[in-house]
Amino acid sequence: SASELEEKYGTSINKGLSSSRAAEILARDGPNSLTPPKATPEIVKFLKQMVGGFSILLWIGAVFSWISFGIQFAQGAESPFDNLYLGVVLALVVILTGIFAYYQEAKSTNIMASFSKMIPQQALVIRDAEKKELPAEQLVVGDIVEIKGGDRIPADIRLISAQGCKVDNSSLTGESEPQSRSCDFTHENPLETKNIAFYSTTCVEGTATGIVINTGDRTVIGRIASLASGVGNEKTPIAIEIEHFVYLVAGVAISIGVLFFIISVSMRYKILDSIIFLIGIIVANVPEGLLATVTVSLSLTAKRMAKKNCLVKNLEAVETLGSTSIICSDKTGTLTQNRMTVAHLWFDNQIYSADTSEDQTTQPFDQSSPSWTALSKIVTLCNRAEFRPGQENLPIMKRVVVGDASETALLKFAEVILGDVMSIRAQNKKVAEIPFNSTNKFQLSIHETDDPNDKRFLLVMKGAPERILERCSTIMINGKEEPLDSEKAEAFQTAYMELGGMGERVLGFCHLYLPENEFPDTYPFDTDSMNFPTSNLCFVGLLSMIDPPRSTVPDAVSKCRSAGIKVIMVTGDHPITAKAIAKSVGIISATSETVEDIAKRLNIPVEQVNRREATAAVVNGMELKDMSLQQLDDILCNHSEIVFARTSPQQKLIIVEGCQRQGAVVAVTGDGVNDSPALKKADIGIAMGIAGSDAAKNAADMVLLDDNFASIVTGVEEGRLIFDNLKKTIAYTLTKNIAELCPFLIYIIASIPMPIGTITILFIDLGTDIIPSVALAYEKAESDIMNRRPRNKKKDRLVNEQLAVYSYLQIGIIQSVGAFVTYFTVYAEQGFLPSTLLGVRVDWENNAINDFEDSYGQEWTKYQRMYLQWTGYTAFFVSITIQQVADLIIRKTRRNSIFQQGLFRNKVIWVGIFSQIGIALILSYVLMAYWFVAVPFAILIWVYDEDFKLSLPPLPLTHPC
Amino acid sequence: MGNKTWADLAGEMKTFLWNPEERTCLGRTAKSWGLILLFYFVFYTCLAGMFAFCMYVMLLTLSPYTPTYRDRVSPPGVMIRPYLNGFTIAFNISKRSTWQPYVDSMHHFLAAYDDKVQEEKNIECISGQYFIQGGNESEEKKACQFKRSLLQNCSGIEDQTFGYSRGQPCILLKMNRIIGYRPGAGVPVSVDCKVQKGNESDLRSVDFYPGNGTFDLMYYPYYGKITHVNYTSPLVAMHFTDVKRNSLVPIQCSLHGKGIVNDVNSDRFLGRIIFMLSIGK
Repeated sequence: SASELEEKYGTSINKGLSSSRAAEILARDGPNSLTPPKATPEIVKFLKQMVGGFSILLWIGAVFSWISFGIQFAQGAESPFDNLYLGVVLALVVILTGIFAYYQEAKSTNIMASFSKMIPQQALVIRDAEKKELPAEQLVVGDIVEIKGGDRIPADIRLISAQGCKVDNSSLTGESEPQSRSCDFTHENPLETKNIAFYSTTCVEGTATGIVINTGDRTVIGRIASLASGVGNEKTPIAIEIEHFVYLVAGVAISIGVLFFIISVSMRYKILDSIIFLIGIIVANVPEGLLATVTVSLSLTAKRMAKKNCLVKNLEAVETLGSTSIICSDKTGTLTQNRMTVAHLWFDNQIYSADTSEDQTTQPFDQSSPSWTALSKIVTLCNRAEFRPGQENLPIMKRVVVGDASETALLKFAEVILGDVMSIRAQNKKVAEIPFNSTNKFQLSIHETDDPNDKRFLLVMKGAPERILERCSTIMINGKEEPLDSEKAEAFQTAYMELGGMGERVLGFCHLYLPENEFPDTYPFDTDSMNFPTSNLCFVGLLSMIDPPRSTVPDAVSKCRSAGIKVIMVTGDHPITAKAIAKSVGIISATSETVEDIAKRLNIPVEQVNRREATAAVVNGMELKDMSLQQLDDILCNHSEIVFARTSPQQKLIIVEGCQRQGAVVAVTGDGVNDSPALKKADIGIAMGIAGSDAAKNAADMVLLDDNFASIVTGVEEGRLIFDNLKKTIAYTLTKNIAELCPFLIYIIASIPMPIGTITILFIDLGTDIIPSVALAYEKAESDIMNRRPRNKKKDRLVNEQLAVYSYLQIGIIQSVGAFVTYFTVYAEQGFLPSTLLGVRVDWENNAINDFEDSYGQEWTKYQRMYLQWTGYTAFFVSITIQQVADLIIRKTRRNSIFQQGLFRNKVIWVGIFSQIGIALILSYVLMAYWFVAVPFAILIWVYDEDFKLSLPPLPLTHPC
Repeated sequence: MGNKTWADLAGEMKTFLWNPEERTCLGRTAKSWGLILLFYFVFYTCLAGMFAFCMYVMLLTLSPYTPTYRDRVSPPGVMIRPYLNGFTIAFNISKRSTWQPYVDSMHHFLAAYDDKVQEEKNIECISGQYFIQGGNESEEKKACQFKRSLLQNCSGIEDQTFGYSRGQPCILLKMNRIIGYRPGAGVPVSVDCKVQKGNESDLRSVDFYPGNGTFDLMYYPYYGKITHVNYTSPLVAMHFTDVKRNSLVPIQCSLHGKGIVNDVNSDRFLGRIIFMLSIGK
């Protein structure tokens, strides 16, 4: 009772807490807000970027450079500073890429930060016996707060008085219907009992006063939120792939490096020289610019997705969506429009369908029958909902209505067909009204008619169909009242069942013209004593309403299906409604049956049905509760079309885990706070931007700005595209590594003058190649992208053996050979024939030999040789660049011929090619002729690759599982 | 992955290396390996063929007598003899073993300049003008005599020790050969020496042979190894007759003439040479 409560919380219902007491409790309990999830300190994030990926290798390279600088400097060698600079450059590369990655991450985090900023909430509190507006954060246990319709509940509250109070608990429990609240204790379970209102839910209507019983993290929502932060964040698939790739390349780099370190030591190179070789090999092997390129590509896609209403919080999630194999979707708001709409009508013994699309302007069904005229009049008049003023210019469907969902639906429906409802109501002045209540289950109003000659009053009534029918003795058929015999009642039952079976909410409508003589103009209608007839009315028709699917959803679902993605509906709604929506959007396809359907068709008990025959399943939350994990796995595995109805938030988590046990990459959509654990658990959590709560948005990786399921599908497409394109980028980048590595290996083994310098390699990796590899991210999809199955996490890797082998051992080798031809050409044209070059290294690099004889008998100083060597570097660089152009063109496609894909569809590729050549021109000055030496090899690369693509077996197409 | 023992991993590794059931090595059967090796054999052979072909075509475009470009090798660099390990010539007069290696090196180097050898192989040319030999590029070119005796006191004929035993060492200066290069543009290139850094008076006198330390025009141009078989580079001998004893004297000898560059910082052997003389008692 109230006094017990007062005692328990040390407060007074009339006076509230004293300010000083409140301050004490505030100090004890802390502010009434959810503690945000612990953020990693910025500096730690930054340092992580500095040591992740290839950075370690490059740091090693830099440290080695400095060590060899130290040794050389101590020995007084001639040019020790080269190594110092190299080390500095390597360190700079690491730091710059680190800063870049950090910046990118910070940018995407910032987008989200704007979401989590909540408008400071105010609460009306009684303290020191005065009503005060206080920020909700300062509420403490024992405070008395007042709530009215439209407010957000500022804390967990035990109600002590309530007037028609209804709360929307959807963010907590997923129930979309507002629930009434009173001060009566009705249930042991705090979630079920009617006298508690929960933090962050909304009061829809009515007013209430209550005592704060929990604040901050101790509220029910707070506990769920902390549950969410307890669910570990899984590594995204792309992060795993990139890690795999880094290991692979680092493995190659380290093993080749160590191998050649040993070889060079045993070939009696000095240790110091061997270390320098090692640095060169590491630098050649590590694609310095690649991780930055990947980040850029991902953020480009993220931008593109943002334009399509998918706001990506975590860059890597861009790709996750592409590898998604199961989508667990909410129903309300995501698949459906989240507003009741009239879907069917029944009058004149016939069912008519109404247009339920988002932007209806007319209704196509037959409106000529006089029955419809009568029905429409009831719909218009027996309705308390009203448009908010000042919205005349908005489309009807977008206008804001004051009133409950059904009435809103009816109002809009009437407005679409009849035009200005308000003026019709004004012409038919209301004289009396009984609003809907749960005992009567009907709503009634009495109007004057708009016909000035007709002095009768019109009584209109709507409500639960069976209750309405009970009060009727006649039924209107084609405008004529006919007696309601059992045959007609039967027809009514059939129609009612049919509409109900479609998961629709059905309302019955009836009317009665009150006889003029009994009810004259001045008749005093009294709604309490009901001094007018409420039976023997004339039944007019039924209207059924549903929250209709968004018009884009069926198409999106079928796209998912052909893309091999299983769409599972998880909803708190009633199974029948859920199944109806699932059918209408294609989650359950027209031909497939559930176990129950088969049983019904074959007329056998459910137990006897062969469960394997049923492709679809509708699972009730109650059934799910009793299921073992195995049974759940069984269902997830054996049914391709699944709907979970009446599920609780915890069950959503179980379903997600079940899907993940199947090895699937699971996307989950959700909007409520209760969804946040599932969103977090999912491989990619998708929160709704409009309906979503902040907690959901925080837990999610992605936010759908338009709450539309179809946006997910575009997201999937982008995700798959970027995965393909990243593959291309990586293949493109890896190829030239061989052309950069071979010079070192051949230099060590054949002792020729160094063909390419470490810094030159960096020019390629961080100069010419960057823009082209980003350009590949703009590549359009190869035709089959949405007809493929989602990639298998284990088999279909970003960098697989085939890609590595093809890049390294085939295209890479061709490139190296091409570059070496240029190299030998440069030397030969300057006087050193290839035969002279072999084994020449020691003398060539000897500073004292300044009359080094070439193949023609000319004599060279050391510096002249070095200058020639640099020319060689440049020529090597140029020919790698030229061949990278060919590489870029072949990498545009993975399977299609370039003739199919077209050279000009991706304009950015051309920007890439021109930038590549432009940068090379700026960085180098060599004779134009050397640009063309490698061209035959560039052509060879292209021809070879076309043949390779021709030889590929066609991809297996998908068939839904 | 985390809960596998090392033994499991080792076992897996072993089956990966050789799987007796499926008869696969490293995950492939013998046939598959064979096909792969065959493929790469063919692939690399073709590639090698293409490489060879390109190189062949490239070599076809080259002239065997003159390199296509000579922009990197000119203007000429300079070297000295004796050259043992570096550019420091240090010895004690009284200790024969300290200067004998230099003398040996000089004798060895000058063997090709013996008067007899030169008379036998080369012709006498007209001094003071370039010895331009026209005709077909592939014709063998005559070379001009550069007799050792031209070096007079530094020829090693009279003084077998090239002055080392007296503390007056001879050092030979050689200009790098460049095909077709005509040094000095009509005026013979001359040589002078000075102290590179430090007291000018450390180097009191140097004698130059032949002439006054000039490279006669008749030795140019050079036609290349193949046709100019017996070409011997002309030399200038520098006889350091009075150099400060018992200290390290850095000396820079430079060429002077039209087209000669001797002041590039990055290349300290272009048109000049720097070496140390240290003559002890």
